[in-house]
Amino acid sequence: MAQPAYIVNTGLITAIGNDTESCKASLLAERSGVGKAEHLQTYWKDEFPVAEVKASNEELAMKAGVATNWPRTALLSAVAVAEAWLPYAHKLQGMRTGFFSANTVGGMDLTEQVYKQFKQAPETVPMDNLRHHECGAVTQLVAQYFGFNGFVTTISTACSSSANSIMMAAQMIGNGMLDVAIAGGADSLSKFTLNGFNTLMILDKQPCQPFDNNRRGLNLGEGAGYLLLMSERAMKACGAKPIGIVSGYANANDAYHQTASSPDGRGNKLAMGNALKKAGLQAADISYINLHGTGTANNDSSEGKAVAAIFEDKVPFASSTKAYTGHTLGAAGGVEAVFSALSLQHGIVYPTLRWETQMEDVAFKPATTLQVGADIQHVLSNSFGFGGNCSSLVFSKA
Amino acid sequence: MELYIHSAGIISAAGSNNTDTFPARQEADVLYCTEPDYKDMIPPMQLRRMSKAVRIGIAASKMSLQQAGIEKPDAISVGTAMGCLQDTEFFLTKMTEQDEQMLTPTAFIQSTHNTVSGQIALLAGCYGHNLTYVHRGHSFEHTMINAALYLQEQPGEQMLVGGIDELTAGSLKAMQLAGLYKDANNNGVVAGEGAAFFIAGDTAVANTVCVKDIDCFTAHDAQEALQHVRRFAERNAIADVDCWVNGMHGDERDGFYNELSTSLFSNVPVISFKQYCGEYATAASFALGLIVDAMKNGFSKYGIDKSIRKVVMVNHYKHYYSCWYMELV
Repeated sequence: MAQPAYIVNTGLITAIGNDTESCKASLLAERSGVGKAEHLQTYWKDEFPVAEVKASNEELAMKAGVATNWPRTALLSAVAVAEAWLPYAHKLQGMRTGFFSANTVGGMDLTEQVYKQFKQAPETVPMDNLRHHECGAVTQLVAQYFGFNGFVTTISTACSSSANSIMMAAQMIGNGMLDVAIAGGADSLSKFTLNGFNTLMILDKQPCQPFDNNRRGLNLGEGAGYLLLMSERAMKACGAKPIGIVSGYANANDAYHQTASSPDGRGNKLAMGNALKKAGLQAADISYINLHGTGTANNDSSEGKAVAAIFEDKVPFASSTKAYTGHTLGAAGGVEAVFSALSLQHGIVYPTLRWETQMEDVAFKPATTLQVGADIQHVLSNSFGFGGNCSSLVFSKA
Repeated sequence: MELYIHSAGIISAAGSNNTDTFPARQEADVLYCTEPDYKDMIPPMQLRRMSKAVRIGIAASKMSLQQAGIEKPDAISVGTAMGCLQDTEFFLTKMTEQDEQMLTPTAFIQSTHNTVSGQIALLAGCYGHNLTYVHRGHSFEHTMINAALYLQEQPGEQMLVGGIDELTAGSLKAMQLAGLYKDANNNGVVAGEGAAFFIAGDTAVANTVCVKDIDCFTAHDAQEALQHVRRFAERNAIADVDCWVNGMHGDERDGFYNELSTSLFSNVPVISFKQYCGEYATAASFALGLIVDAMKNGFSKYGIDKSIRKVVMVNHYKHYYSCWYMELV
């Protein structure tokens, strides 16, 4: 990379908090956000716990200062972007700024409310429910609101989506195409995704237990997470101090199955290995791994084997934060990039909540004890998804 | 940017570029793809499970690989604004009609936006970089930017890039109600769909289209859009363009194109490509395919008899615009 992309600020909203600070407080208190859905209207609300953001659409819209008829994904995105961007917005006049977002189902939450009616009498459906259906439309709402009129994009690679938006942003700052980037992603809960994951029989009826031998599946979550990235020039111009840098990234494909990971985690290994190579680091340099760790039998086994293959018998602190936030799908890479930044900043190792039993097919034990002030120099963050998409990011102290 | 386009595979309403009749213009209010015979490209068992988006995407990608003489690409980047609509609508219909009961996974699995890029990787055994862009009228353009970024870091590799969007009864209806696509009252433009895939590399090979610059912007009126195009022309010192390709399509943005044809591109031969493929968010991929095809098979089918070296493409989808500068080398 020609020049580093510095992490200057973060924006976050998940089931465990409405901003970075409150999410951090919940992580330190080992407080999970998984519970019964209050805002998502679904037949399954008593059956499957979810990690829902504790705010109605109206509350989110008020917090972000936008219209209440936006898709919930756009509302979550606006809240997190505001946190990352607004403190610096006025200091970045004239800088080439890009907005890199990601999501998996766009405005599906509004579409599904009227879809039955649309099939029967399409003319009677309010266009506002369909207008923002596209993934890109969600990004564009947020871009317009904040006045991002340079490079704006949306990536959708299932559960690795927002890791890829951070990767592209780092590349464009790296080669001097941009000075500033807001990069990450957002996804809200929807009936569509909940029912879809239910057909795959990978939802846990209890709060999930990632990397536990008796794990039963994942809990869906929702949220948004963004990094404010800057070139050195932009950072100096606004007098900011870096939290860290995006030192490595890699994207690979598992090419095994549309929704399942290969047993030995081939794509996972490629992503982690190439990200380390990009960062110019050895496996032993990594201080903490934020695992993808969804809590499904398949993911944790494949990922665990891939981690063991790369780190051998010297696996560093490794944990999944999905037991706190649920699996936030297209937002997960962004949310966990913020967690990784907090880990660098404060030396935090997040304990894997609810872990009880060592996995039989994976030798290393995930971190289960909270650490603060540990010597964290480099963090590896994994995001793997449907379609074989595997991405890994490395964040390092500046 | 110097991105060399080595080959193209196109499936469109105007047919496929591996036939002599391409592009064949259809007269219709909705331009659906003329699908090829898939038997040499996709095994029948797999074909049966594929929605239109997946099968035209897979087949177009295979055509581009075949033409380039490559079995599998090193990396894949796909642009699709709408994703796999047919499977999305199928799952939505069942979910809403059956009140979230008795649902099956197949349509959900195939509904994700990265299904096409994932399936291509799966069928080709491609373990490399794999991305899907879903940014409305810029989805395909962003795959080209992605390719340029990727090849900067992995020089010499061959990347598969493509644009794909399918039209379904539901999406057609919704876009008619939104006023974009032509309806019974003849308001709006002719709807389209298609898939166009390319092998792109950073090494110069004779007889390729070299993409030198792409500018993506949004503009809410013609003057703002014209300003962008003029700045683009200045930045690339475009003075002696041999041909310009435009996305003019009989809507309120015709004035913008007319203005360009009497100013920046006066007396420059023009190809308006949407008469062949209809309007859709990734139609720029069809236009690039048309240029690659014309370079190999001649521009005379568009009534242009001079030799062509410098080409500018200007396209819009709603208020999403892009300008392309290409040289045929």
